[in-house]
Amino acid sequence: MTTPAPNPLRRGLIEDRTGDPCALVIFGASGDLTRRKLMPAIYNLALSRSLPSGFATVGVARRAKTHAQFCAEMKEGVAQFSRRKPIDPALWSDFERGIGYVQGSFDDPSTYQKLAAHLDEVDKERGTRRNRLYYLAVPPAEFATIVANLREANLVADAAAERSGGPWTRIIIEKPFGDDLQSSRELNDCIASAFAESQVFRIDHYLGKETVQNLLVFRFANSLFEPTWNREHVDNVQITVAEDIGVEGRGKFYEQIGVTKDIVENHLMQLLCLTAMEPPISLSADAVRDEKVKVLRSLRRMEASTIRENVVRGQYGRGFVRGEEVPAYREEPDVAKDSRVETYVAMKVLIDNWRWGGVPFYVRAGKRLPRKVTEIAIQFKQVPHNLFAAPDGGVSPNVLAVRVQPDEGIALRFTTKEPGNATVLRDVAMDFRYGSAFGSNTPEAYERLLLDAMRGDATLFTRRDEVEEQWAFIDPVIDAWRDQAAPPPIYPAGTWGPEQADDLLARDGRRWRRP
Amino acid sequence: MSAPTTPAGGAPPAGTSDAGTGGAARLIAKLEQELRDLWKPPEDPAATPLTRVCTMNIGVVAPSRELLERYTPVIDEVTASIPARAILASIEPDGGADEITGSATAVCSLSGGKNICSERITLAVHGNASARAASAIEALLVPEIPTALVWLGRVHTDDPVFEDLAGEAHRVVLDSEYTSISSVIHVAAWARGQRNAPEIVDLAWTRIAVWQEMLARFFDDLETRPLASKVTRLVLKQACDPGAGIGPEGALMLGWIGTRLGWKTSRLAGALRLKRADGQAVTIELASVPRPAGVAPHTLAGFMLEAGDDPKAPLLRGSIERELASGLTDQEDTTRDADVIVWRCAKADRAEIEQRIRLGANKAAKWLERTLHRPARDVAFAESIAFAEHIVEDGLTVS
Repeated sequence: MTTPAPNPLRRGLIEDRTGDPCALVIFGASGDLTRRKLMPAIYNLALSRSLPSGFATVGVARRAKTHAQFCAEMKEGVAQFSRRKPIDPALWSDFERGIGYVQGSFDDPSTYQKLAAHLDEVDKERGTRRNRLYYLAVPPAEFATIVANLREANLVADAAAERSGGPWTRIIIEKPFGDDLQSSRELNDCIASAFAESQVFRIDHYLGKETVQNLLVFRFANSLFEPTWNREHVDNVQITVAEDIGVEGRGKFYEQIGVTKDIVENHLMQLLCLTAMEPPISLSADAVRDEKVKVLRSLRRMEASTIRENVVRGQYGRGFVRGEEVPAYREEPDVAKDSRVETYVAMKVLIDNWRWGGVPFYVRAGKRLPRKVTEIAIQFKQVPHNLFAAPDGGVSPNVLAVRVQPDEGIALRFTTKEPGNATVLRDVAMDFRYGSAFGSNTPEAYERLLLDAMRGDATLFTRRDEVEEQWAFIDPVIDAWRDQAAPPPIYPAGTWGPEQADDLLARDGRRWRRP
Repeated sequence: MSAPTTPAGGAPPAGTSDAGTGGAARLIAKLEQELRDLWKPPEDPAATPLTRVCTMNIGVVAPSRELLERYTPVIDEVTASIPARAILASIEPDGGADEITGSATAVCSLSGGKNICSERITLAVHGNASARAASAIEALLVPEIPTALVWLGRVHTDDPVFEDLAGEAHRVVLDSEYTSISSVIHVAAWARGQRNAPEIVDLAWTRIAVWQEMLARFFDDLETRPLASKVTRLVLKQACDPGAGIGPEGALMLGWIGTRLGWKTSRLAGALRLKRADGQAVTIELASVPRPAGVAPHTLAGFMLEAGDDPKAPLLRGSIERELASGLTDQEDTTRDADVIVWRCAKADRAEIEQRIRLGANKAAKWLERTLHRPARDVAFAESIAFAEHIVEDGLTVS
């Protein structure tokens, strides 16, 4: 196998990144995700000159509609949801020429024959070079059918061909990646029946956020922090993914899933991995993901007894959020009146490795909390000896808070002396905020992730073993709750969760931050 | 992004004047006090506090007050997205009494309901006080953050003001559209001879970045990649009158292509010739297109490339055409001169592929902002400017 010589005109080029020529095929193109997220993201990539010259978008869905109708729907979606408005007519006319629509049922082989014929035409007209990026914007129940039909219709290129410069095929799938470890394995096996792991891009849009990416830069491009990033200096780590909204009309969906599967199993575990991982040997996708998997494998597995001690769940009751009275979870549409689904979870997680032995990671996620905030807070140890007498017990520990959303940024809390003749201590913060410091119009997570997939960079996508390790950690918790007779404790909406969550930290002599 | 504004109710840009021995020091002390006053908590508890943000120093030096005043809105726009301490100095050694005057103010961006403020210090230096200008500017730099020096007008590398300020800067930003490509070549050559030289950058280089990226696309395909070493003909189009010489953008573009593809320059009876690595000649043509009102002279307007074994039957023909003055007025961050570029690639055995893209707003502030966002060190620029020197020396002109 020979590696093709690089393009000499790309040597040293600093201009923005561009994707490889390809046809993006969206299954479920009539759905909300396509209209609200995917098409606006693709259009914004076109605006920022990141789309390759050979590019086409092909929608596949069951509904019968003409090409013109599909284009009109997409245009309306872009006009409404694009971060840059209004639509640029010169670019849209060019962009629209690359949009196609194939109508058909996902379980009908003729749909894939039509798709194959359409893609052949696209290759000739748009220069997409037989490169295919499939996006499954459909419920997981449809994955197996689509994957099997793609394989049968010879619409999946050999992964080895790409390495020798041949056409490539990639597939992007949306979470949930299964419902538990068993179903996750089945799903992965199904995808693996047609696609090599290097062709699979499991999207977790949290990883497309600037601050999450910056976590790697922050940790591994600054010599100041890494020496203290361990059990010698860190007292505990708190990761919070809080939402102020309720289920927003998705009661039926939420009844099936709960916050643990919706947030903790994926987003929160990924944040934990990026915080706790060792330095990778390079920034290649597998080097980074190898280190994340090591963290997941080091998580101390919980048994029924430790789950009772270390995990707290809750469900929101009535209360006030942002000054408005909101209903209880059980009063939401499509939610059972006796629902036992958790809308809040807090856990004490231990990582059994050399770096983090004995350092608790307190993680929590919930709905109808006082505000929307996602942050990672590294709380450092107290100074070994307090020189300063103070009525409240002395010096507060340093805290490094990485704010993922909103107001993405990093703040370092430290203690200083108040000006004056007396030695009065006060906490202050050095606060870096992306919006203030860079002020640029940050790309949406989907833009970054779609572009990465077009370029074959899987660093910000989750690998099969990561997903399965995440489920292996979460499954016992879900199973234990299933066996518990008591429903989750109720917390008033607009509070930081049930009292038991505070007790979880109080037992260790700690308390939650109020981010 | 709302327009930058000075803070309502904040400290006005009070002028401070001083001259003679010790005058510069007193002026700096006063400016520092003015800066401190800017960031005092407001006395009115109901007033919105200003948030000072500073990610770099931007020094701007102009040969006249008029030019500096014209450039000030550009800097204000840049600091709305790159919060900075901007130190703008007009230095006129032949004008007025020996004096140095200055003022400090906050420039705030109200984007997203925030009140994020940069600092702008303005200095006017006249007569013999010009010798102290660099020292005064250096004293006002915020430590520990990068410093960019934007030099407006002609550069003389033996000018002590330039030498001192360039020595403090991480990068020196020039614009060959306003100085000249020769001036940039001269400064780049000076930097090559310095031990700790700043990076030199030309805004024209940033302006052609999109062209470079689009040109590289012709050879991304594995089938066309071998043709990169078989370019037979290049046509560069610029907005100018017939008979005009090659402009900065064209010269840098040729320099970039030449260095990337391993071309060599040679002479035939004193005339410039470009040869590929295999010794075959490349035909270079410079053409003109009409220059619409408001379009800068020598603006790069088009590009055509042919490649193959036989110059008369090229296997690849690629073109990039700029539709001059095709910009929009109703888009965010665009202007009338945010032109459309049409990229076309035709291969002997395939249908032509076409793509339209829109260039960013053709505004001085946008180019400077984009330049400051790019990595300071750019080896391709250093190599390309050295190659461009040959092209400029030989005065390639529109045929």
